[in-house]
Amino acid sequence: MSLLTIETTETPSAPAPASPVAASARNAVKTYRTGNSEVRALDGVTVDFTAGAFTAIMGPSGSGKSTLMHCVAGLDQLTSGSVAVGGVELSDLSEKQLTRLRRDEVGFVFQAFNLIPTLTVEENITLPTALANAKPDVAWLDTVIAAVGLGDRLKHRPDELSGGQRQRVAVARALASQPKVIFADEPTGNLDSRTGAEILNFMRRAVDEMGQTIVMVTHDPIAAAYADRAVFLADGRIVDELHAPTADSVINHMIAMGD
Amino acid sequence: MLKLTLRTVNANKIRLALTTFAVVLGVSFVVSSLVLGDGLRSSFGSLSEEIVGGTDLVIEPSSEFGTPQPLEENLETTVEGIDGVANAVGFVENDNIQPVTADGTPLTTFGPPLIGMSWVDDPALSSFTIVEGRAPASGYEFALDQDAARDNGFEVGSTYGIVTPNGEVDMELVGISRFGESNSTLGAILSQYPMETAQELFNRTGQYDSILVSYESGADPTAVQAAVSSVLPAQTEAIDQAQLLDNAKADFNEGINIFNNILLGFAGVALFVSIFIIANTFAIVLGQRTKELALLRAIGASPKQVRRSTMTEAFIVGVVASGLGILGGLGLNYGLRAMFDALGASLPDSPLILAPRTLIVAVVVGVGVTMVSALGPARKAAKVAPIAAMQDSVDAPKASDLRRNLTGAAVMAAGVLLGAFGLFGQIEGSGARIAILGSGSVLTFVGLAFASPAVAAPVISALGLPVRVLGTAGSLSTQNAGRNPRRTASTAASLMVGLALVTTALVVGESIKQSISETLASEVKADYISAPEVPINPMLLEDLEASGHFDAIAPYRYDQIRIGDDVDGVIGTDLEATDDLFDLGLAAGALTAGSDVVAIHEDEATEHGYVVGDSIPVTFPSGTTESMTVSAIFTSSTIMDESYLINMSDWDSRFGEVVNWWAAVSVADGTSIDVADATLAELAQRYPQAPFENQTDFRETIQGQIDSLLVAINAMLVLAIIIALVGIANTLALSVFERTREIGLLRAVGMSRRQTRRMIRWEAAQVALFGSILGIGLGLIFGWGVVTALPESFVSTLAFPVSRIAILVVVCGLAGLLAAAFPARRASKLDVLDAISHA
Ligand SMILES: Nc1ncnc2c1ncn2[C@@H]1O[C@H](COP(=O)(O)OP(=O)(O)O)[C@@H](O)[C@H]1O
Ligand SMILES: [Mg+2]
Repeated sequence: MSLLTIETTETPSAPAPASPVAASARNAVKTYRTGNSEVRALDGVTVDFTAGAFTAIMGPSGSGKSTLMHCVAGLDQLTSGSVAVGGVELSDLSEKQLTRLRRDEVGFVFQAFNLIPTLTVEENITLPTALANAKPDVAWLDTVIAAVGLGDRLKHRPDELSGGQRQRVAVARALASQPKVIFADEPTGNLDSRTGAEILNFMRRAVDEMGQTIVMVTHDPIAAAYADRAVFLADGRIVDELHAPTADSVINHMIAMGD
Repeated sequence: MLKLTLRTVNANKIRLALTTFAVVLGVSFVVSSLVLGDGLRSSFGSLSEEIVGGTDLVIEPSSEFGTPQPLEENLETTVEGIDGVANAVGFVENDNIQPVTADGTPLTTFGPPLIGMSWVDDPALSSFTIVEGRAPASGYEFALDQDAARDNGFEVGSTYGIVTPNGEVDMELVGISRFGESNSTLGAILSQYPMETAQELFNRTGQYDSILVSYESGADPTAVQAAVSSVLPAQTEAIDQAQLLDNAKADFNEGINIFNNILLGFAGVALFVSIFIIANTFAIVLGQRTKELALLRAIGASPKQVRRSTMTEAFIVGVVASGLGILGGLGLNYGLRAMFDALGASLPDSPLILAPRTLIVAVVVGVGVTMVSALGPARKAAKVAPIAAMQDSVDAPKASDLRRNLTGAAVMAAGVLLGAFGLFGQIEGSGARIAILGSGSVLTFVGLAFASPAVAAPVISALGLPVRVLGTAGSLSTQNAGRNPRRTASTAASLMVGLALVTTALVVGESIKQSISETLASEVKADYISAPEVPINPMLLEDLEASGHFDAIAPYRYDQIRIGDDVDGVIGTDLEATDDLFDLGLAAGALTAGSDVVAIHEDEATEHGYVVGDSIPVTFPSGTTESMTVSAIFTSSTIMDESYLINMSDWDSRFGEVVNWWAAVSVADGTSIDVADATLAELAQRYPQAPFENQTDFRETIQGQIDSLLVAINAMLVLAIIIALVGIANTLALSVFERTREIGLLRAVGMSRRQTRRMIRWEAAQVALFGSILGIGLGLIFGWGVVTALPESFVSTLAFPVSRIAILVVVCGLAGLLAAAFPARRASKLDVLDAISHA
């Protein structure tokens, strides 16, 4: 317990100034070495994710979407360039501080396997708070749980939920700690379109009604249409972006890019 | 299919190596036991030949029971006169002859005897060679074996004291002798004296303990033996060379077999424990390969093929484990020798014999255990449905099913019944009893292992209560420990076995200690007791008497008598003094001095209808029958553990051996304890093999002996616990691997490395505690059973070593934490990105 106290008192950096940018990357380069060949997964990406906005990262498979997201979220390190969350340079942070950042400043929603099977829905949602040994903000929690619409399932275990419900719990978990930014990697990739739409609506509302910042990786034009802005990646570079995208405009864009 | 099996084994090398650790240990014990046994048998075989040497015939006194009277000296001349006899030489020996070093310390050993004997001049009949100086010829001179002489600084030409049953005598060391080829005395100290000197000092004037006979070359052994036999008086027998060799080897073999069986017992425990671990590992590894197996089934493999592939895998693992076990066994062989060397009881040098039988046993045991362990998991693997290949991984094991629990309970009940029968039933022979007890406890273990998943979840969550305080990592650890009760239960089962055995030993030991304390408190009035490993020198008792500080002095001797058709044990002592020294719970009569009186235990008296005043015919080993009067009937059998007690004055003339095994004394009125202590301390200088201790010290000494026995037993059983901990580490490592994604997710949402480590460690501690609790519970019950079954005279009370058991629980919990060190480190070092994208 004392260990955690130490961790929490070790403030990684000065509080971020009120900035319209929740997270950003500057000349981000990430290369992977496999044997003799070198893959440039990110090839000089510069991008800002505006606070309070829903951004979609789009691009063909292998274009570097997940890599960009992992690097910005502090799960992976860049080869060169820099990333920041809430104005804090991640390259300056220690492993401990990165853990704290993931716990307190960032929320995650993965394509699948988002929940700990032994924990109930409620325990899963409050997991980051519990890991910090902090008291949950009950009022906020109620709001999130009400929004996610799983009030009657709080004591259930993940294996008693449908895929869509699990993803909703995952989004609720990400929202619960009021992070600076939520990263979602193809959160609807495993869902049918109707369930997927539910999740996307829910994320949209989190942005609109709760002021959340969400960055979502997807290759689905319909999903991208829920975002305020779509950023297009190809071969590790940002090749284009669209404001207020619609499914049609995204598809046209993709055709134009020759995908 | 075989190719796939080989690839699988290859892919899981490290995991399987961990698994086989337990089998390797078990096989090592089996191999070292057999190798050491074979080696010792071979060297004792040649040792026996050295002992027998050129002796063709040995004449010894005999009796149908008890210790016979020694031979009369004149028999030697008679035998020598027989045709075909080249030489006949008398021989006397005594097991308690202590040479005293130059600085005045009598030699002692850790148990082996200090044998004094007459020097045999005829090299054909002697087992000794003089390596320095000359042989003792006449008067007060002696020879000493080369190791005893070298180790204690004895020099030829100097004069040393010799402590004998007739006092300490100064003698000149005239020679250094070697026993056989390499002086393998097994720790005994051997000294030789001229015949007349030996006879005088060993109370054998005019008598021999045996006569060694050699034949003339060309004589017909059968004819000579027949001629010798015809001149032998009653109660005498002639033993030929072949018989002598057989007797010597049989004696050695008995010792080797006990030793062998102990090692095999530990091997059995190690192998039994390993069965749980191997079964567990196979189950987990196969569980992780469910998709792969299902795919195999989907593309057309039959369940039989899947099962066979798994069993082949087990076979390969078993063969490898056996091979390693054979190497380990050879290493352990040297380790055990080194251990005995360190303990001062060197085993004789012996060749390293790796008999084909040893190899076969090793492979059969190693492969057998592995394959038996894999049976269950293989059957389950064969049941994987092809459709599972297409489904999402299902990680929801059934908590427990009724059939399994009932089976477990039934097996356990059978085990308990069998155990109870083994403890309390009418069974002929201790071998059969031990076999029944052993199978009873194995069944109990197996039954409990089967049924324990049912209790695993509730017990773990109870254990987890205090851990929850430690935050999320703590409560996650509890949930992880409880999520797969079957796995937790079988991981814990291996620990349970070790702990149950250790606890049983502790309970029995504690009860014996407690009983001793109570007996000492209630039945012993003596102020001092001496119960050494070697007989007590009669001179010590005389010196005690002479000091005038002690009034009741009683030595205790053991032999046998026959009454009618019943041969019974008899104790010779001073009955009057015994009455002052002990409370034997007299039911009738009195313990009195005087000859031809006998005190009888109540049970025996009731059985034969003896009452005080009866005359009963007592036959002694010498063959004479005399009428003795029943003077007392006593009820306690704790201290006087034979049914008949007679006075010493009746002893010497009727038994061939006058050996005082232990003694008790009381301080005379008017002598202070300080004076008594000082007197005894002074005597202890002269008779260091037989110190007298007051009640408190005596109790502590005995309890210390019990403790060291327990330490020895438990040290070996700790092996089972170590195997179990390796099992926990192994299972946990596999679980961590299985939960890679989950751990990755936890790390992604903010669990620190420390929290991750803590989560895994606490999980291990809880599994370990669960196993400890089951094991200790079972051990307490076993201990109670054993204590109840042991004779009342041996243990009269049941005592639980609470603090030791509490320590055991804590140590096991901590050991669990330790076992988790590696898996915990692994979990905390998992790369978050790799983990969350883990397929
Ligand atoms: N751990 C890795 N090692 C080597 N190459 C990788 C690794 N992760 C990603 N890549 C490569 O980097 C490129 C970008 O991958 P990724 O970011 O996962 O793409 P996307 O998410 O857009 O499909 C791909 O060419 C991929 O093969
Ligand atoms: Mg991707």
